[in-house]
Amino acid sequence: MVSEERRKEILDNLSEGVVEYEEDRVVEYATAALEEGLDPFDAIMNGLAAGMEIVGDLYDRQEYFVPEILMCADALYKGLDILKPHLKKDSNGAGKPKGQVVIGTVQGDVHDIGKNLIKMMFDVGGFTVHDLGRDVPLEKFAEEQLRTDSEIVALSAMMTTTMMGMKKVIAMIKEKNPDVAIMLGGAPVTKDVAKLFGADGYAESAGNAVQEAIKMIGQLRKLGEEAAQN
Amino acid sequence: MPEMTPRERVKRFFKREPIDTMPVFSGMGMVTIQAIDKMGIRFAEVHGSPDYLADSASTSSDIYGFDSVVVPYDMCTIPEAMGRGCTVYADAEGILYPTVPSKWDNYESIEIDPDYAAKARMPVVEDAFKKLIADGKYAVGSWVLGPFTLGGQVFELDVLLKGIKKEKEKVEGFMEKMTDVVIDVAKRYQALGTDYITIREMGSGTDLLSPRMWKQLIQPYLRKIFAELESPKILHICGGTDLIVDLMNDCGADALSFDQKNTLAETRKKIGDEVILLGNFDPYGTFCTMDASEVEGVIKGCIDAGVDAVWPGCDLWPEVKKENVEMWVKTVRKYGIRPTPAVGRV
Ligand code: B12
Repeated sequence: MVSEERRKEILDNLSEGVVEYEEDRVVEYATAALEEGLDPFDAIMNGLAAGMEIVGDLYDRQEYFVPEILMCADALYKGLDILKPHLKKDSNGAGKPKGQVVIGTVQGDVHDIGKNLIKMMFDVGGFTVHDLGRDVPLEKFAEEQLRTDSEIVALSAMMTTTMMGMKKVIAMIKEKNPDVAIMLGGAPVTKDVAKLFGADGYAESAGNAVQEAIKMIGQLRKLGEEAAQN
Repeated sequence: MPEMTPRERVKRFFKREPIDTMPVFSGMGMVTIQAIDKMGIRFAEVHGSPDYLADSASTSSDIYGFDSVVVPYDMCTIPEAMGRGCTVYADAEGILYPTVPSKWDNYESIEIDPDYAAKARMPVVEDAFKKLIADGKYAVGSWVLGPFTLGGQVFELDVLLKGIKKEKEKVEGFMEKMTDVVIDVAKRYQALGTDYITIREMGSGTDLLSPRMWKQLIQPYLRKIFAELESPKILHICGGTDLIVDLMNDCGADALSFDQKNTLAETRKKIGDEVILLGNFDPYGTFCTMDASEVEGVIKGCIDAGVDAVWPGCDLWPEVKKENVEMWVKTVRKYGIRPTPAVGRV
């Protein structure tokens, strides 16, 4: 076990390494975390993810723009690649893989910067992510969900017009598997649109996407339990 | 003095000579579904034929009384000619714009075919211009993407964005290549006799880049482009632009065009009354979703904010409501008889 002081030092360096997009520093301290027996979940959440939260604030304050965010994300992934394989699968649920997500930008739409950020948040949040990329044929989402048996499908659309494709995807998936939680996002998507299309969740930004997803899974599990009891 | 023809009106407009009334036009695609339907074709078929391109543009202007015609409608012509492909979504139910399916993802693999201007649909677009110019009825508008936006069409944008800080020389070398392509294609369109050209550096607004980065990475190349081109030449950027108006105004363009995110009245104050200002209604919202009764307010709002012509913030989304587009034309004709800051009236 590491001392509280050393723990703080490692976490601060992971966080700052992400904020300052210093990949080498992140690699160094992620490796140290493992070697010195720091809980990888702690390192991810209170190191890497905490750094990304600061990055989000810098972005909101227009101090950071998209290039900086992408570089921070690279640094974060460097740490995640090292730490994630060591997450304890059974320790009181905290580090348990939370579930699987299929994610992609819908057909006709090549905007993928926002989608990639959401993907990163799911990665950080401990989900297993199946990324279909951009301009994804609508039926592909349902196929991939079935293939992977994922609990969540997250759709991104940046144009009002391609957003209409989401409605079709939702229908296709729900028809085959009504228990899948579907989450929408992207600039033209609003809470009302998500509801109208029959989606289960919506998040305005990367920051709250994961909380929203976890809430959705929670609801689904509850529904599942109720169904089992009846 | 007899009424001016659309072409005369637009040509005089850009020379800032007095005109009879504000032209109704754009620097970006203005094709409408009504024209496509009238021709009995599908949107996906338009992009590959010079006749379809030219006829769909002029039919749209015939239907609504626009002053200009603009082709092409998609941003893939140059990438396709560079071997990056083009998806037209032939089977899609509604309208989808063509996209580029394969991009270069490292600097080493980039190879620009010296003969690209003769490849794929490049000649199709040039033939469409020739037909529209020969027809002579409308002002013929051409456009080319700016070097950064074109770069994002042929090369993975996130690699490019990250490289700005990490691999500066490589990014600059790439931007230079793209700049040469933009100049080359724009000069070809000017040599054919098109009446004005818009450089659309649309992916470079402050949604993505900081003003500081814009100054470093975008402005030098745009300056080079505008220095090489004849007038009239317009710079268009969509998305967040309030913070880069002054920088945009220092690139050598004759006119600036913005989308709905720009605070136009402030912009007019910053650039003064000499520069032609174009903008800035949301084409999708105003023509596809709004009630026709609300359109006059939007268009008049642009005029009141100090534009010299009311341009849409982007390509028209072709599935427009007819009454809404008619209201654009009607409102411009009604209020456009008065002079605007940069352009007088006869
Ligand atoms: C960059 C950009 C491009 C780049 C895209 C490069 C790429 N690889 O992504 C290029 C230049 C290629 C491009 C092309 C076009 N674009 Co564009 N583009 C933009 C721009 C400027 C920024 C988008 C962006 O990346 N923002 C930064 C990221 C971080 O934010 P974000 O994407 O919104 O994502 C956040 C949230 O939305 C959310 N989120 C996103 N997805 C998801 C998913 C889930 C599940 C959840 C929970 C949340 C979530 O979380 C993210 C993080 O906070 C926007 C303007 C804008 N302000 O949005 C226009 C914009 C999206 N484009 C637009 C248009 C019209 C086009 C074109 C059609 C232009 C044309 N006429 O040809 C083409 C179409 C290409 C196509 N068919 O897809 C319009 C769309 C209008 C509309 N409402 O329909 C916009 C809004 C600009 C405008 N003038 O209005 N574009």
